[in-house]
Amino acid sequence: MEKTKRPSLRAWLEGGGFFIAGFIGSLVIGWVIFPMVLYSKQPQPMNFNHALHLNPEKVDGIEGETEAERCLHCHGFYDDGTFKGIPKLSTCTECHDNPESPLGNTPEEKAFMDGYVAKDQEIPWLAYYKQPDCVYFSHIAHVKNGKLDCMVCHGEHGKTAVLLDYEANRLTGYSKNIWGKRISGLKTNTWDRMKMDDCAECHSKMGHEENNACFVCHK
Amino acid sequence: MELNRRNFISLMVGGVAGMHITPLPWKLTDDIAIWTQNWPWVPVPPAGAFNSAKSVCTLCPGGCGIEVRKVDGRAVKIEGRTDFPVNPGGICPVGMGGLQLLYNEDIRFTRPMKRVGPRGAGQFADISWKEAVGILSERIGGLRKKGAGEAIAAIDGNSARSATALLVERLLKAVGSPNYLRAPSLDDTYSLANLMMLGTDGPMAYDLENSDFILSFGAGLIEGWGAPGRMINAWSIWRDQETRGKVKVVQVEARASNTASKADQWVAVMPGTEGALALAMAHVIIKEGLYNKEFVGGYTSGFNEWSSFVIRQYSPEQAAAVTSCPAEEIRSLARAFAKSKAPVALCGRGKGTLNGSLYESMCIQSLNALTGGINRIGGVLVQDHLPLASLPDITYDEVSRQGVQKARLDHAGTPKFPYAQSVASLFAKEVREAADSRIDTLLVFGSNPVQTLPDGGLFRKALSKIPFIVSFSSFRDDTSMYADLVLPDHTYLEKMDEVVWPAGLQYPLYSLTRPVVKPLYETKNCGDTIIELARAIGGSVAASFPWKGFEDVVKHRAKGLFDSAKGLTGYKADSPVWKMMQKAEEITPDYKSFDDLWNKLSKGGFWYRPVHNYGRWDSIFKTATGKFEFVSTRLQLAIQGYLRQNQADSALSGLGIGAGAQVAAYPHYEETNAQVDTKVYPITLVPYEMINLASGSVASPPHLNKTIFDNQLLKEDSFAEINPKTASQLGIKEGDPVFIESAAGRIRVRVSIFEGAMPGCVFVPLGFGRIGWDEFTRGKGANPNDIILPRMDPVSGQPVWWKTPVKITKA
Amino acid sequence: MEKKHGPAKGNSYGMVIDLDKCTGCGTCMVACAAENNLAVRPDESDKQRSITWMRLYKVTNGKDFPYTEVSYFPRPCMHCDHHTPCVSVCPATATETDPHTGIVSQIYTRCIGCRYCMAACPYHARTFNWWDGYFPKGKGIERYLSPEVSPRMRGVVEKCTFCHHRLMRAKTQAYTEDRRELEEGEYITACTEACPAQAITFGDLKNPEHKVSRLAKSPYAFRLLERLGTEPKVYYLSTKDWVRKLGDNYLPGEFKPVSTVKAG
Repeated sequence: MEKTKRPSLRAWLEGGGFFIAGFIGSLVIGWVIFPMVLYSKQPQPMNFNHALHLNPEKVDGIEGETEAERCLHCHGFYDDGTFKGIPKLSTCTECHDNPESPLGNTPEEKAFMDGYVAKDQEIPWLAYYKQPDCVYFSHIAHVKNGKLDCMVCHGEHGKTAVLLDYEANRLTGYSKNIWGKRISGLKTNTWDRMKMDDCAECHSKMGHEENNACFVCHK
Repeated sequence: MELNRRNFISLMVGGVAGMHITPLPWKLTDDIAIWTQNWPWVPVPPAGAFNSAKSVCTLCPGGCGIEVRKVDGRAVKIEGRTDFPVNPGGICPVGMGGLQLLYNEDIRFTRPMKRVGPRGAGQFADISWKEAVGILSERIGGLRKKGAGEAIAAIDGNSARSATALLVERLLKAVGSPNYLRAPSLDDTYSLANLMMLGTDGPMAYDLENSDFILSFGAGLIEGWGAPGRMINAWSIWRDQETRGKVKVVQVEARASNTASKADQWVAVMPGTEGALALAMAHVIIKEGLYNKEFVGGYTSGFNEWSSFVIRQYSPEQAAAVTSCPAEEIRSLARAFAKSKAPVALCGRGKGTLNGSLYESMCIQSLNALTGGINRIGGVLVQDHLPLASLPDITYDEVSRQGVQKARLDHAGTPKFPYAQSVASLFAKEVREAADSRIDTLLVFGSNPVQTLPDGGLFRKALSKIPFIVSFSSFRDDTSMYADLVLPDHTYLEKMDEVVWPAGLQYPLYSLTRPVVKPLYETKNCGDTIIELARAIGGSVAASFPWKGFEDVVKHRAKGLFDSAKGLTGYKADSPVWKMMQKAEEITPDYKSFDDLWNKLSKGGFWYRPVHNYGRWDSIFKTATGKFEFVSTRLQLAIQGYLRQNQADSALSGLGIGAGAQVAAYPHYEETNAQVDTKVYPITLVPYEMINLASGSVASPPHLNKTIFDNQLLKEDSFAEINPKTASQLGIKEGDPVFIESAAGRIRVRVSIFEGAMPGCVFVPLGFGRIGWDEFTRGKGANPNDIILPRMDPVSGQPVWWKTPVKITKA
Repeated sequence: MEKKHGPAKGNSYGMVIDLDKCTGCGTCMVACAAENNLAVRPDESDKQRSITWMRLYKVTNGKDFPYTEVSYFPRPCMHCDHHTPCVSVCPATATETDPHTGIVSQIYTRCIGCRYCMAACPYHARTFNWWDGYFPKGKGIERYLSPEVSPRMRGVVEKCTFCHHRLMRAKTQAYTEDRRELEEGEYITACTEACPAQAITFGDLKNPEHKVSRLAKSPYAFRLLERLGTEPKVYYLSTKDWVRKLGDNYLPGEFKPVSTVKAG
């Protein structure tokens, strides 16, 4: 009887090497290259310093007990209760009303004054937190009734001095902030992800199971 | 190290294993699912600040109040207004779909254009406003130089007595042309009937909400007649639990229309014999002494003559033979009508988009006089026109002074049509038949005669003999397809415009539309275009238009309201005007100065007068006798005048009057049958109107196509309704394609078998068969106007469109 | 036993349509289409393909001339309360009955387009998007679309939502005024608001104060195919026996006319 030819140890090791190479290759593709390919990057039309604008010592009128109240100063509600979202130029010009006399001395403000205020042109901001069209979200229900801080969903955005590049998912067109900055989708903070499950999870946790009915958040 | 088969597999397995602990497959699966939910071509409506703007709908003469919901500057929904006197919150389907007329580039002229293709093909090239006005002013100037101002004609569909209509008429006079034509409408018939019997040509004001017996001779009360928002609300009031049974609505019509079906009683009569029915009712009321003796005895003239004529010739039995309505039904109807507290009889056909018959209106108005329902609460109120300030005199030069005195092409105002203002169908006939058309330039304002004139296509054919056609339409409508030059108007949602007394309303109301959105394209308010055109023509024409713009004209006119009458500009839904009118007290205006009034008006506001002086029978009639005239003096004079010019016997038939000279001035029934062989054309074609199908100059917004049943329109075929008996006689079945053929032509339709259709008739809806517009509208269905024999209603000269002898053959 | 009226633990929104007042004008259909971004095809005459949430049905009493009468049934989604047929068959959980509003939802992004719900619905209240909405480039007709309702893509089923976005709109307004509960009339559907005859009444069937709950108990009230047991939340009123009889299938002699009954 002839013995079946068994691969040598060397062949085993060699095969293992290829396995590991493939394995690592995939990890690199999946964790490093994939996110780079998946998201497109686009700078914002100009910078906006949230930290500066939310400082009551520097900016008149930014007052309020809670952080939410300070945010609402610009990101407020219309009379019918709908959320204003990113402010229109008219909100900016409540303070930055004269292109000739900037309030500070940064080149950013100068560019803003010349490029938008003087020309009375809206700033084409790219919204980090825009949900798709099928989603209905009521800010007033969460902020006023639910007394949620803006941070719960928007994180430290209000403390940033520099606007990061806007990243959009090439496939879905969604902002990266919906899935979260971590490609793993794992979250450690409530604001790390804004997917449907995250909304539902919070509703359940807060004892608002009834708000997980489909039509509460879909339109 | 060699990449053999085994190692390759190892690499792959390693790769696959590794892949599973990366986010790639999971995230990609999720993303692909999301990708399928967000196709880039599915529109995502931009969000923004919700706001609204109030205005008035002018898609029909009803003038309902509308509130337009907007997102930033974009209109997204039209809703009815609850702070507007005409309609408490409701509007009709056409008005509801209005945004589809605003936001559709394919149906609009986005800037001035000139024709580049053959006429009717709808091929135009962009030009500038300067060039467009230049072309037209030079042409008009050229004609004027030749002393041929009358070669310019205009057909106008802007509502009568509105500022735009007055400017169009003024332009024509100023350039020296008498040929100002109006698209016919029911209001013309109403005014004429009132002029004959009451001596004033004021609007017909039926106080329906306060009536307890509404006898409608063919008016589509819930199908678009008057202001639909008002009428359907009134209907709802009559059907309330509390009032149910207290108000009776009777509809006289040849077809089980919505109004007929939803009425308490449907009286079916042969189309066009409504006048005979009214006279037979009068016969019963007179004979049984049920008439209001105080009113008839003290404030009417001609009663004795007319009543003996009615007693002699219109017994219920005699009328039954004409109308096919049983004599007993006529009797009980007459008794029920006359014994009601506040009965009112109203005439009309469908929506009132087209004219009615003068004699018929007079017959029906006689019923109101017999019951003393003239200027009585719940009856017919005698109203004057709105006290708007008149425009300053026109400046004439030699050409225009001579021009306006020349004969009108349509013979309106001549002894043949002594009281007609304009007869568009006769104009078309003259242009068509004249060897050389004297008309060089036709201006088309706010109307769509190619589609809407019931003349067997005569107007369309006449256009080929007019060298130059100018459209001022907002839309690529059926008539503007033939235009050589287009100076587009704004749509009603982009402009300021007047609504002067909404159709059928019983109290004076004036309202202004306002731009609810900024004009989307390079269009211009037609009033401004006219002023600009006049300025470009120069000389006395320019001097006749001294205003900076249209708004100045409107403001000037509104001053008259402030100066000469007391009205209100505010309204609360809980005190409807018809209730306010029950108390005949004076009111205190809720505005302090003219500026205050104007400020309110110009924001889509309104002015109305919710009080009325009832009775006053000794002073309201402006007839020769100072009374309500059963026998119209005006008509008598006209007939005598005509007879003096034309020798005896057959002369009256020249007026279209078949009855003898004796009764020609009476309200009487005229058999306006066409002179064709009824053996060849045994069926009667009756056009009808639907509230969810726009039959006027503007086509239905596409949303309305959803409301059209598939036995009304299927693909490109519209349907004709036929009684099952008639269908079986003709051997046709449901859905069969047929030709309906008259002496004027034929149309192809399918058949819908309907028990509610009078046997021997075929009912075809008005509003289909359009040749302009876009793929939502164009080429859908047939237009019965195309085969209506052009015949004249006596005296008024307007077309008899409600019955045409036809034959039906399988297609 | 289920408590029908009482302190509202949630609402049960419903509708009463007075067929005596309804004139068949179709404004409800147009208002619905305009409010809810319904797509219009160049040919809407194929009624199996035409998208409608609120649909008008024309009926006649079948009598000969001149005794013929027509009447109309406006038909939104019935938002069935019991064994909601569409919900029970949906394999994708794209439709569900919200126990707190009684409104049957339809989530387009979840719908897989199998049309099982359409087969299940006894009222033909659901329509399928055979095509994407017709918004060709250059016409600019998409400009009238409302951001409150998400436009649909091809391959999904849609139906009347009782203008659920108007509920959210009313709630949002109430929240700004520091209220959590809605007043009667604050939330009504687009068809209710538009009806020029005020034939449609909308409100909370659970709330005895609301007009709908009163009207729904009228002797003239009936529902479509009531005996299927789906408990529709849309009621009709008619004093005409022939109209009421069309609301269900009856064996000969089974239908009980109520023309003699006095309204309550």
